[in-house]
Amino acid sequence: MTQDEHYLRAMAEFGPALARLARTYEADADQRRDLLQDVHLALWRSFAGFAGQCSLRTWVYRVAHNVAISTRLRRRKARLVSLEALDELAAPDDPEGAVGNAHLLARLQTLIRRLTPPDDQVMLLYLEDLDAASIAEITGLSAGAVATRIHRIKQLLSRRFLEGEAS
Amino acid sequence: MTDLKTVWKSQEMEGNAMTSLAEVRARAARFQTGIRWRNVALYAYSAISILVSLRLIARGAFPDMRYPIMLTVIAHLLVLWQVNRRITARGLPGDVAGQPALDFHRQQLERQAHGLSRAWLWYMLPMLVPFLWELGIMLNRIQSGQAGPESARILAVFVGVAVLFWTAVLLAFSRAAIRTQLQIERLNALKAE
Repeated sequence: MTQDEHYLRAMAEFGPALARLARTYEADADQRRDLLQDVHLALWRSFAGFAGQCSLRTWVYRVAHNVAISTRLRRRKARLVSLEALDELAAPDDPEGAVGNAHLLARLQTLIRRLTPPDDQVMLLYLEDLDAASIAEITGLSAGAVATRIHRIKQLLSRRFLEGEAS
Repeated sequence: MTDLKTVWKSQEMEGNAMTSLAEVRARAARFQTGIRWRNVALYAYSAISILVSLRLIARGAFPDMRYPIMLTVIAHLLVLWQVNRRITARGLPGDVAGQPALDFHRQQLERQAHGLSRAWLWYMLPMLVPFLWELGIMLNRIQSGQAGPESARILAVFVGVAVLFWTAVLLAFSRAAIRTQLQIERLNALKAE
């Protein structure tokens, strides 16, 4: 396959996931568009050197997350916290019983934006339904470290989103 | 009970991605053009500095400052080369896909930390040497009576401002280097988990 063919296939399979990634990392519409375009550009350029070293999915997510890391390193605006610290923090802006998927998504995105790397990456990939082994391959964490984080993420999401809904 | 993963994947998409290869190629071309223009600007700056300095030397405007001025030109070129070398790698590194995110992140931080911790060597020292040389010449002029007491006051203000400026630069570089090093250590701990 050529560079262009790899890129088109990646867009067909992972285009929506990349848009979700950009939307999560950047709240501002202009910065979100810039990040997404940077990801697309990096992907297209990267496919010149793609020779099946890993799966297409791993390649695409690595490029996307690495571009996002570079962008965040340049901006460094917000104060980020780890998964454990976020779990211990109160959530005064999370009204119990909030309804609607749009609101739920906005809260999820805000939650991920506050996390330090690689906790934010693990949560994003978990929501994209990747298994622990794939997340480990993309992030570089050990499978055990990913499993521990996924466990914490499930607890956090359950407390923040599902219990409130149930009550 | 809401399935968060399903909700996550069902979110509406905005039509702001590049959707065609033509758009990607156009952005790639703009990216390369941007790098070219930045390089042109950097080299134009050094060319102007060199021309002005050489003109001053040729006209014999400051005969005893000839060598420090020449050294300043060399210092500008050295700093320019270093800045260019360090900034060039900041765009989109070639190994952006070859490494897991954690390793890539650490590599980016290490590159930053390396540059920051050695800033005194590649950014300050080349400028400091000709500055001290010029300072020595001016002090000598004052001591030998070639320059009046007014020159001594101007020189004192000049030195004070320079010391404050370079101290602030050094502190800023040091603080940034420490912050970056702490992040590297945190990533190393994560890698060891």
